[in-house]
Amino acid sequence: MEETFSELHNYSKYGIYTIFDSEDILLPNIEIKIKRISENVFSYNRKDTEDNISEQMIPTKSNKLTIELSPIRPLNYPARRTNYVYLDLDTPIFLSEGSAATIFARCPIEIGVFIVHDKHKDSLDWFTCDPVSSRFGLYGLPESGTLCKYAKSEIVESYEDSIPFVNAVLKINLQNDLDEGHSISKIVFPISDNSIYYKNSRAIIDSVTAVLRKKLTLEILDVFSKPAQTDWTLAPTYESTIPVKRMDMGVD
Amino acid sequence: MTLEFLQSLNEIEITESLTLLSLLIGGIIMAVGIILARIVRLIFTKYYAPKLPQDTAKNLAKLIYFGIIILAFLVFTSSTGLDLSGLLVAGGIFGIIIGFATQSVVSNLISGIFLMIEKPVKQGDKIELPGSDISGTLLDISTFSVRIRRFDGTIIRVPNESFFTSNIRSLTSTPVRRSDAIVGIAYKEDIDGAISVIEKEIYKSMSFVLMIPKPEFRINELADSSVNIEILVWHPREDWDEVGPKLLKVAKKALDSAGIEIPFPQRVIWRAKE
Repeated sequence: MEETFSELHNYSKYGIYTIFDSEDILLPNIEIKIKRISENVFSYNRKDTEDNISEQMIPTKSNKLTIELSPIRPLNYPARRTNYVYLDLDTPIFLSEGSAATIFARCPIEIGVFIVHDKHKDSLDWFTCDPVSSRFGLYGLPESGTLCKYAKSEIVESYEDSIPFVNAVLKINLQNDLDEGHSISKIVFPISDNSIYYKNSRAIIDSVTAVLRKKLTLEILDVFSKPAQTDWTLAPTYESTIPVKRMDMGVD
Repeated sequence: MTLEFLQSLNEIEITESLTLLSLLIGGIIMAVGIILARIVRLIFTKYYAPKLPQDTAKNLAKLIYFGIIILAFLVFTSSTGLDLSGLLVAGGIFGIIIGFATQSVVSNLISGIFLMIEKPVKQGDKIELPGSDISGTLLDISTFSVRIRRFDGTIIRVPNESFFTSNIRSLTSTPVRRSDAIVGIAYKEDIDGAISVIEKEIYKSMSFVLMIPKPEFRINELADSSVNIEILVWHPREDWDEVGPKLLKVAKKALDSAGIEIPFPQRVIWRAKE
């Protein structure tokens, strides 16, 4: 999926691009300018709507610069504090006793810019196109809860329904193994276990399975990740991944 | 030749039971003990300490180092046949004198041991000692004192005894913290409207404020000139400086933009008729 920026008209696609001279990239709320400043040096300049500027020089071995623009996990803005994501479903899902359902929900993402060279991908920059919705939330009590990246999540119809550069779609398999009906209104899971895939300007995330079940005497919502079966391109990982303990959610 | 030299050393008596040769052997044992203690401490620091909490690793390293040196000293005394019973008798008398003189030192030592056992806070925690107006990052808990780097960059040493008996407020032991601010609006203004504009501005411009638990607004006081609204917001424990000092600024900006008056104290003076 390699193409030059001149072939890409409105930069509304994720993917690998080769820059020979100077190019501007326009994304929602973000403007990126990449400019050749000498034979083997490019400058990278990103500006957001509040005129915050991030600038870097990129020396290259050849006379071109290859970058990859891809979705990354929503863990870096405003600061890296957690590996967990708290999806607050806009409509709670009611599961009667022994039933199961599959839904598609939107999950926020951030954008990563990677330098591609010698088959390696180095992280150059990251940003969010929707800073106002990129917030923290606490699952549990202030003294013992889990800090999460919080997002209101809309339920959508399919993997195609993500908003370009703002969110990705996540398949959630819900299952109720309890002997009574329950509503599920939120899902909390460590997103560092999930990979992100992209195609054109759409993105999807590895699915999660949430099972309502009994653990000893407690009713819990057991949430775990499952790799997505897809032919979409696997996005590179921005942050260093460390194993995170899975958490049992309580049932409301 | 060497044997003769050693024999001559053995013949030189320093005390009744101590010869120059045994003193030399003892010195070698002590030197070997010190070198061994340093090597073991180095190996421990390099390979095992990174897997342990910082303060535990530091204390264990000290324990290993001094443990080996004490062991070497015991080997030295037994190999030389040094009789320390005289010292013990003298030590008994001196012990009482020194005990009185070093009361605070011993107290700090004991407090330090209890601090290491109880671990009310750990190295790197941000703490506050409310009674003594000390706050900052805990650098280490050592044998006699605790070192705290204050938020102004200076380092303060607090004796263990004083630290152990103080109230200690940990600022980083919970995942989130709450910051608050009080802002006054004029009596003629709509309270709900003012709260709504402040809330919107907080959501818009304070990215570290938590969405859950939501910001809370309470009427703090019907004061002389204003209705005082208390704003309470939660944020990640590390990010107080991104929220606490900025909260009032954000509230004022929101009220100014909405044209809501923040009154200042006013006094009506009635002049008596002459």
